[in-house]
Parts: sequence; structure tokens; C-alpha cells
Amino acid sequence: MRQLKMGTSWVRGVVGDALTPELVVNFACAMGTWCESGPVVVGRDTRRSSVMLRSAALSGLVSAGCEVIDAGVAPTPLVSFAVRELGAAGGIVVTGSHNDARWNALKFLGPDGALLNAVKSEELLDIYHASAYERATWDRLRRVTGAPDVVDRYLEHLLACLDVEAIRARGFRVAVDYCNGASSATAGPFFHALGCAVVGLNVDPSGEFAHPPAPSATNMRQLATLIRFVDVDFGVAMNVDGDRVGFVTSAGEPLSEEHTLPLAALGRLERRPGTVVTNLSTSRMVDAVARRHGQTVLRAAVGEGYVMDRGLAENAVLAGEGSGGVGMLPATMTFDGLLTVGLVMELMAREEKPLAELAARLPAYTMRKGELACAPDVVYRALEGYRKRFAGEPVDCSDGVRVEWQDAWLHARASNTEPLLRIIVEADRPERAAELFDDAMRYARRMAGGYGGD
Amino acid sequence: MPRTLSLKIGISGVRGVVGESLTPQLVTSFAAAFGTHCGMGPVLVGTDSRPSHEMVKHAVIAGLLSVGCTPVDVGILPVPSLQMHVRTTGAFGAVCISASHNPIQWNAVKFIGPDGILLRPNRADEVTDLYHQGVFPRVTSHEISEVREDDTAIQRHREAVIAAVDADSIRARGFRVAVDCCNGGASVATPAFLRALGCEVVELNTDPTAPFPHNPEPLPENIGDLCRAVRESGADLGFAQDADADRLAIVNERGEPLGEDCTVTLAIRDALHRKTGPVVVNISTSRMVDDVAAEVGATVHRTRVGEINVVERLLEIGATIGGEGNGGVIVPEINACRDSFVAMALVLEALAREGGTMSELRARVPTYAIVRERVGCAARYVATSLRKIERLYAERPQDRTDGVKVLWDDRWLLVRPSNTEPILRVEAEAPAEEEAQALVREALEALCPTR
Repeated sequence: MRQLKMGTSWVRGVVGDALTPELVVNFACAMGTWCESGPVVVGRDTRRSSVMLRSAALSGLVSAGCEVIDAGVAPTPLVSFAVRELGAAGGIVVTGSHNDARWNALKFLGPDGALLNAVKSEELLDIYHASAYERATWDRLRRVTGAPDVVDRYLEHLLACLDVEAIRARGFRVAVDYCNGASSATAGPFFHALGCAVVGLNVDPSGEFAHPPAPSATNMRQLATLIRFVDVDFGVAMNVDGDRVGFVTSAGEPLSEEHTLPLAALGRLERRPGTVVTNLSTSRMVDAVARRHGQTVLRAAVGEGYVMDRGLAENAVLAGEGSGGVGMLPATMTFDGLLTVGLVMELMAREEKPLAELAARLPAYTMRKGELACAPDVVYRALEGYRKRFAGEPVDCSDGVRVEWQDAWLHARASNTEPLLRIIVEADRPERAAELFDDAMRYARRMAGGYGGD
Repeated sequence: MPRTLSLKIGISGVRGVVGESLTPQLVTSFAAAFGTHCGMGPVLVGTDSRPSHEMVKHAVIAGLLSVGCTPVDVGILPVPSLQMHVRTTGAFGAVCISASHNPIQWNAVKFIGPDGILLRPNRADEVTDLYHQGVFPRVTSHEISEVREDDTAIQRHREAVIAAVDADSIRARGFRVAVDCCNGGASVATPAFLRALGCEVVELNTDPTAPFPHNPEPLPENIGDLCRAVRESGADLGFAQDADADRLAIVNERGEPLGEDCTVTLAIRDALHRKTGPVVVNISTSRMVDDVAAEVGATVHRTRVGEINVVERLLEIGATIGGEGNGGVIVPEINACRDSFVAMALVLEALAREGGTMSELRARVPTYAIVRERVGCAARYVATSLRKIERLYAERPQDRTDGVKVLWDDRWLLVRPSNTEPILRVEAEAPAEEEAQALVREALEALCPTR
């Protein structure tokens, strides 16, 4: 099976299989056409395949008459900032983000620096499917240029969003796992400006991953082990393109990536009360934080494009997902790992408390996550089955099926990246979580005809 | 009027109009096909200075990387430097991004084998077949190589050419030379090359970031500025190169263009003077070559038009020198491709050895009139058109090596399809201008009766 997925604001595939340079050229031509041949910022992560896909993207954009502003190796939030700062018509980030090394993807940003929302993505896909590309004649071709000072301006922007004095005063010692990713250029100066002493891990921007790049508790074991041997205030793991982060306490205890958003909310809502947007699969910890500040949490379909788009529409002050991606609105238009770390450092500085103690303020729910590999038709049949099964309950069908009870919720949905059915359950008590989760998995297995497994 | 396509896939590579037919999709796939043919190793990527070179280069790099090759970016340079560098560095092949003498809206990718020679027709067919089948052995992310850079090709080429001629004699003359590089791939290389031969250089159009100041084909009508510069600067001679610097035109000290056929004739004369041996030129090259060969009793072989055909025959029979009437000079011992640097070196060497002026050197070779015309002709009308010429001159001896060449004792007429554009070329050579004109006119009237 050729692995290619097109979703809102991105196209993703396995390199050497469905994700070919020709495909990327086509999408770049479509993006250049969508941008009406205006300037487009291109950044890439550190994967080996990103060099190839970047060249393909540059070629396609130039052929459509775009001026290409080459940001080089750049995390997604930096590209987003550059699009806005330079008044570009759009952006392309070549990054497999949290996916493993076999995969890569293009993320498409609009002129506002945000990922294309559902409507704009559809416009882009229509151009792609019709192969109706703008083709510039030789005299309308623009050159590939750079934006050498955009990193400095981006860092200035981040610092302006934070209480720099308070953070500097604490003189944090931080262990940072860069995942050999694209944040190397921005994270060093950022922590330096905040007066932090940094112990770096996987700092070589080689794109060779020491562990899978999603900042989950499992993938932060290397960082956690390091922290047991060095004296730091906390540890932070960045993903390859710098939009998601996970935290490790000073004792070397990895917090789940679900903790990132509620911790950021603790920091953000104190200084700037407002609505928080998250997705249907994210822990209710953030609801507890919002409640404490008298604020509401709104839920959108899973995916940064949906969550940030809803956040912008609702004038929210924070939008994020249980994956560790958080955007501080309206300062950033995409999830921004560094700003997320900044918010948490600000919180630690203000409260004068260690990270573990702040995390302990969050409710201790039990979350269970499972997935079942099965063909797309089985996935959708199972989802339809759940909808019938839970017909009497409060069901949200905007992305798969989500059922909410007083003490628990369950979300079943098709994966955006693989032929998988994902099931997530969260409950106040472990037994209740186990009961709901086991029941849902049993049902899914039965739908799959006894094949597949977790 | 049938619409003629602006895309040509042939033995000269893939050539098209930017914004119309030469798309990044096409180039990426062709590069993947060529990379598949080369195997997983270093492949040089060089380009001339056209504004579209960046778009094409990135498409080539992406295609090569996708099948496991290591692209080596050698930058903007003359094609002969690129070809020599393939052998010098042991690369698996090279992609040359240049539409050569074609106008600026065109660009092309040409494929060069590990021997530094344009892909032979059978290999070029294999690459085209790979392209048409469209299934490439893509590597996984883990096996994707890196892009390297190498800026030594121009210098190494310069040193190799200078080592092959009597550089001391040339330096002793201290020539003043005006050059027009057409802001092309040789813009940096040529002035440095001539200075290394002790020349004082008057530079025209040597900015590779600027657009072509005129049509890049070094025909007399395109090099008026050079002729003026020669006169005004009191230069000993002038050289004009096309955008990829495989072809050379010469201007004498009076500012008169000699015509491109003189380049290969004078170069052959000089080379045969040093070492006699068989000569290979294509079927449309001037009879002047036969005259200079006869001076030393050398034989002349004629091939189909197209650099690779001349190169193949040169290598096959171990010839000393060859070339094409369009100003392309090939000395296999130095560089097995058309090389305007070799041509410049040989012409300067002849001037240095024989003394006198450029016009005196030219006068040592007889003069004929050549007339070259072109007429639009879509692929499907080519065979019919050629048959018209065959019938028109049914009573004369004909050579079907390439198109139709009709022979008389003191003149010839050639009608042949272009390798690069949807046109027929109509050419004639005769003792007098009006005689050549008459032959061409007669052929054109047979081809297009309404004309």
C-alpha cells in the first residue's frame, strides 16, 4: 500500500514510496498558484529527505512565478513568523514533524502565517487535482532569496511576549532535547536571552533521530535519564520542527505530553484570561485549569489547522493539543514550542515553585490510548457502529465519535496519518477508564473480524 | 497553420520553453530517470546563466536525490568545463542545464555520461525509456544522499587546455582580445583563461547575473557590439561565445566577423600543422575544411549533424581534430566535446606561430559563400518535405547521411530537420553569394510554394 495522506493544511507520505519529488513539485506549483505568484517562505527540518523535498518545492514555486524566501533549516513557528513579518503570500514547511524518519510532509501556511484551514486547503487541493498551475515565462521568473535577520526578529518577538525579567531572575538550568531537529538555530539564543544555562541533548541538526520525534513520555526517557545525572530545574523535549514540547521534572520524571497544554494554560490564563481551544482527544486537565480562572474550553477536530483556526475565530488566548503543541494567541499563528516553554518558565518564576509541584496542581485523571490497524472501510464501519451504540449519550460526531459523561469521555477516530482506528478514553478513576477502553477495543476488534490488535 | 510544440526530447536532451513545456515536473522525472541510469554515485550538476537555471537546477537535484545519487553542484560554468570535470573527478555522469545557443525563453537539460561525453543515442534512448515508464527505484529516507558543492571545474579546465598548446608563444605576442560572453556560462571563465595566456582582455557581457544582451547564437548579426569593440579598442581579434561556451565565433582586427565556419577551419588548420591525421566534421560544415585538409593530405570524414555523432566518429577512427561549421571545435586528446576554449587556444597559437594579423591568417584559406535559412516544419511534415527535395534534384548525386544533401562539383545544398527545434534547415555553399542564395531560394520554393 502506497502511504500518502492529504489533510487539512498538509500532504504527508513515506519518502521513496508515495512522497516523490514530482508530487512535491506539483503541490508547490499548486501552492504558488494559490498564492497568486506572490512571495513564499520555505523552511525545512533536518531530515535527509527534507533537502530533496526542499529543492522540489523551490523549483515548483519558482516555476509558478513566486519569489522564494529561503529560510533554510527552520522550525515551523519561525517560518510562520517570517510569512507575517515579510508580508509573504504564504509558506511551505518541509517537515515530517512528529512522524518517524520514513515519513516526510509539506505544511502549507497562508498569508496570516497560520496553517491553511479547511476551506483554503480545499482550494489548494482543487488546484492540485485539476493540475491547473500558473506557469511563469522566463521573464517573470523570480530569484530565490534569503531572510538573514528573520531569526533575530523572531526571537525579539518571542521575548516581547514574555516576562523576561522574571524568568532571567530565576537563572533556570534547563536540559533540552533538540531531537537533532530544526530548533537548534532558534532555541540556543532563546534560552540564552532568558538567562538559562542549557544542557543540550541531540543537538546535531543531522535529522538522525535517537528516538521517535514525538515528545511523549516514552520518547523522553533518554532526556529523563540525563536529568538524573545533571542538576537542572527541568527538562524539555522539542520535536523536529519545534512546534511540540514535552517536559521532564527536576527529578527526571517525564510528564505526559498531555501536561503541556494545561501547564501553559496555568501560565497564560493568570496573565491574560480568555477562551482556550483544544481538540476532542485532549485531556480534561485543561478544563480544570480554565474553570479555576472562570474561562471556557472549546473543542475542535483533531489537527493543528482546526484547533488554531477555531482559536483565531473565537479570539482565544491559547490553543493547543494533547500532543504537546500549544499556540499562544494572538502572538503566534502556529503552535510554538519555544513560546510554550517560555510560558511554563514564566509560571515557575511567578509561583516560585518547581515543575513537579505545579504539575501536581492538575487533576490526576487516567487516560488510556489504543489503536487498531485495519483497512479504511473497517475504520469507518466501526465509527458508524459506535455512533449507534452511544446514540442515547451526548455524542459529538465532528471528528469520528466522541462521547462525554460526567466522569469520563471516549473518542474514537480515524488516524490522520495511517490506516488506524484510534481510541482514547479518559476517566476520573482508573477502573472506569479500563472498563470503557476495554469495551471499545473489544467492539472494534469484533468489527475488524477478529483481525488486528492493539 | 499547425501548432508546433515547444518541447523536444532528442539526442541533445530535453529542451523546452520555460513556462510552457519545460516544467519542473518534467525535469524532476527526467533527472530521476538519468539518475537511475547513472547509478547511486556522484552526478555533477552545472548550468549556464539563464534566469530559469535556478528552477531547473532544483528540479534536477530533487530528482537525482530521489533515486540515491549524490548531486554535486558545480555552479555556473562553460559546458566544456563541466564535461572535462566529469572525467577529472570520476563522477558517474553530469546534468548540463543549458539551451546552448537557443533564445532566453528556452532551457534544456543535457545528459553527460561517465566519460564526459554527451550520452550516446542508444543510452539517451534508455534514459527516455526510463522516463516514459515512469517507475523509478526511489530510495527510502535513510538512503537519501547529500548535495555537495565543487567550484574547481573552471580552473582545472583552464589549466588542462593551456597545457595542451604552445602557451609561451601566445604569451610572447601579448594579444589584445575583445570577448563577448553573452553574460553566459563562460562569463567568469573566459577572461581568466585569456589573461592566463598573457592577453589583454576587453570584456563585453561578462556578468552572469544579467540577462542575455542579444540572441546567444554567435552569428554575425548578433555580435555587432563585439565588432565595434574590436575596432574601438584596437584589439588584435575578438571572440564571441554562445551561452554554454561550446561554440566560438571570431572577429578580425578590422571588426569584421569571419563567419562560424572559419572557426573550425582555422582550428583544424592549426592542429593539422602540428600533427596530421584524419578530420571529422558534420555534413553541413564548409568545404573550406576539405581545402585545409588537402594542404597536408589529410582525409575528411562527414557525419550527421549533432555533436555526439562527430565525437563518436572522432573516437572511433582516432582522429586528431574535428568539429562543426557552427563554431564547435573538438580535440579528443584535450576534451572530447565542443570546446570554445580549445578553439581560442588553437586560433591564438596559429596567430602566434605565423605572425601577422587575423585577417591575414583568414586569407590563407579560400573563401566560399554559405547561406543558411530555416523554415518552420512540424515533425509530421518532415519526411514529405525531404522527398520534395529528393525529387527536385533527382538527377544529382545525393547524400542521405542527414536530411538530403545535393552535391555539385563546386557547391552543395542541404535540407535537414533540426535536432532541437521544429524547423527545417536549408543551407547551401557555393563560390559566390548569389549562387548559394539561388540554391536556397529554389529549395524554399519547393518546400513552401506560396512563399
